[in-house]
Amino acid sequence: MTIIEGLTSGFLQSISLSVLPYLAVGSIFGLVIGIIPGLSGHFAMAMAVTFLYTMEPGAGIAFLLGAHATVAQGGGLTAILFSTPGTGQNAATLLDGPPMRDKGLGGVAVGAAMASCFLGATFGAIVLAAMLPVLRSVVLFFGPPEVVMMAFLALTFVAVLGKEDLVRSLIAALLGLLMAMIGLDNVTNTERFTMGTLSLSDGLSLVPVILGLFAVAEMFDLWGTGGALARNVSKPLSARETQKQIFQGIGLAFKNWWLVIRCSSIGTVIGLIPGLGSAAASFVAYGHAKQTSKDKESFGKGNIEGIIGPESANDAVEGGALASTIAFGIPGSSSMAILLSGLFILGLETGPRMLNQHVDIVFIMIFTIIIGNLIGTIVGMFLVNPLSRATSIRAEVMVPVLMAVIVTGAYATDRSMFDIGVAVFFGIIGYMMKVLNYSRAAMLIGFVLGFSLEKNLYLSLLLDGNFFFLQPIPAALGLITIGFLAYNIWGIARDAKKG
Amino acid sequence: MRRTFLKGAVASIIAGSTLTFAGVAAAQDAASFYDGNVIKWIVPYNPGGGYDEYSRAVAPFLEKYTGARVDIVNLPGAGGMKGANEIYDSPADGLTIGIINGSAMVTNQISEIEGATYNVADYSYLGRMVADLRVLVVGVNTPFASFEDLQNAPDPVVIGATGLGGSTYVDAVITGPALGVEQRVIHGFDNSSDVRQALLRGDVAGMWGSLGSALQGVEDGDHIIVAQSDPERSALLPDVPSVFEFIDTSANPEQTRAVMNAWDALNAVGRPVAAPPGIPADRLAFLQEAFAQAMADPEFVEMMVSAERELSYVDGARMAQIAATATNMSPEVKAIMVAAVQGEI
Repeated sequence: MTIIEGLTSGFLQSISLSVLPYLAVGSIFGLVIGIIPGLSGHFAMAMAVTFLYTMEPGAGIAFLLGAHATVAQGGGLTAILFSTPGTGQNAATLLDGPPMRDKGLGGVAVGAAMASCFLGATFGAIVLAAMLPVLRSVVLFFGPPEVVMMAFLALTFVAVLGKEDLVRSLIAALLGLLMAMIGLDNVTNTERFTMGTLSLSDGLSLVPVILGLFAVAEMFDLWGTGGALARNVSKPLSARETQKQIFQGIGLAFKNWWLVIRCSSIGTVIGLIPGLGSAAASFVAYGHAKQTSKDKESFGKGNIEGIIGPESANDAVEGGALASTIAFGIPGSSSMAILLSGLFILGLETGPRMLNQHVDIVFIMIFTIIIGNLIGTIVGMFLVNPLSRATSIRAEVMVPVLMAVIVTGAYATDRSMFDIGVAVFFGIIGYMMKVLNYSRAAMLIGFVLGFSLEKNLYLSLLLDGNFFFLQPIPAALGLITIGFLAYNIWGIARDAKKG
Repeated sequence: MRRTFLKGAVASIIAGSTLTFAGVAAAQDAASFYDGNVIKWIVPYNPGGGYDEYSRAVAPFLEKYTGARVDIVNLPGAGGMKGANEIYDSPADGLTIGIINGSAMVTNQISEIEGATYNVADYSYLGRMVADLRVLVVGVNTPFASFEDLQNAPDPVVIGATGLGGSTYVDAVITGPALGVEQRVIHGFDNSSDVRQALLRGDVAGMWGSLGSALQGVEDGDHIIVAQSDPERSALLPDVPSVFEFIDTSANPEQTRAVMNAWDALNAVGRPVAAPPGIPADRLAFLQEAFAQAMADPEFVEMMVSAERELSYVDGARMAQIAATATNMSPEVKAIMVAAVQGEI
């Protein structure tokens, strides 16, 4: 089957009555899972797998992947309206989403977020399609040395993350790296910082840490100050006003098309690298959006570019992440591992046989991502209005309800009571950081990059020797990192002189 | 005399029929106990891996033969130990069962790793789903085409592996030194998929893995299989030598054989389905019977064949013996195994 035949057949199957209804159900299911804090794409897929046994391959793939594709959209909605990230990949949206809501522009923010997700996902899917002939070489491009240098580059983005100063951000990022060291070390099998408890031997899970740092901390803050979640807004937006704002937001995402393309590229590339993940992608995209913006000052205070950047990146990851799964059957994330199981259940094989004989299935995946996100955007628009009304409920009512949801979310990922404690602990840490003006985003980026940074550094040293970073690609990435840091330090020095 | 005989006969008939009756009653008891009840099936890893796939595949058939609902609960942690502990410590009512990574649980136990509160030999076993045939693969772009090539390599052969104590690691460090392969084992990869990517890139020359996951790469022309773990060549790989065939070439064949046998016993533990120690005998018998039927259900077997998933069922009693054999090794062999697991070889 040639690629063109596959494309045509894949598209016709995707919009056929035997597939499209499953795709729609899957996408709406994913959207709802995304809205609920703590439940992630990996959870949505694990639930969806159960239904696959009786399905046809096309319908099954559309259902499974649809449920995964829209999770980030739902999560963005929760992040903006309730200051609680629906999934880990929406954590970067917290930097500018809630401030927009407080300005009474919640609708614009949500509209822009949803449209960016759709555009990012479409970009990632198209890149995946374009890469099909060379997919196997592209996936093998990134080895341990490349990943180490990419992770370093991503880490330097903390320098521009928040409104906090550089030194505080670096402290937070290094603390984040230390947090990633907790648990059983993969290389020496030694426990580090576990204080002798088995609960910490696998390290901290991402979801409770994010929920704690951002959502729980926000609840403490809201409890302390009182009032409603949406501050400075006297009454909820009318349904009509909300609709108007959503369309305005969608328009803004299209207007910033160049930013969307750049941030989607970041997302797709990070998606190609196993282990970095979409949370890292969205923070790097946020850093990039801020770095290249003409109006850096307003980032963190409700700049729409601070939403468009991360939201387009976190869905563009999908296209990249699918690449190694399709090309070799090597899953780059837990979600992709579930997708792989799903393919087995449906009787499909990955690797060259899929690329040669079942390329239509690959295109069903590609169209599922695109159509699923479109469905997610449309359905999401209808959910904004009722949800945004809830944001003007008083803190005394809202905090207990949201806390219950957050605690359940922290528990649900691994069914672990310990994780509830982790969320509360990081809630206190997060609240203190907020008060003392330390960047929580920097801590999180250190935490999410810590695992792959350490592992790949170790492997690079063993496989390529002490000077692994002198190979052409790692060296180029290293130079970009140094250049980026130098530029920022120069900027700080210049500002200091002015001040 | 005759009277005594009659008495005895009557007594034995009564006893016999009582026993039979009791047996039937017990089976009925167990059946009615499980009918409509909920069995919790613990998977000690995240959704999406082999353990999860096997569990979710067999669950509907276990439901069919027990009449109970089977709830799959993923309980990842500590390399599968958290789930294994949880099964071991659950109430012994026969309502909590689960699949365990038998071989890894044995290695953890003999090396007295912290956190292993279970004892592999003490579980109540329903049976075994599969014991992976382990194979050594090398990339097609390496200069190696056979196990002899590895033995005669001028430089140490780079073998990729996951963490210390993981199967990919234990296989390499047990077989390599024993059979005179000079090797450099690079461990620290996340999982076997991760090692496979390094193999494809050419970062490592070879790796140990299960036949199931190696087959696809062989069909795709990415790597070749140069050795297998079973003492007898498997019917699936008639042309690939077993590592046992090289024992006589080693420096100390007797000790090598002892170590390799212990390793083989470890592999045989495979992926058993276990319940806590001491569950009521009638319920265990009922579960074992239902599990046997589920594993033999044609629909299930066909599904696993089409998904290219191996099955190697053994019943609960046999599984208990396998577990006992694997945990009971001589002090010298145990010392070698423990050193291997701890990265001291």
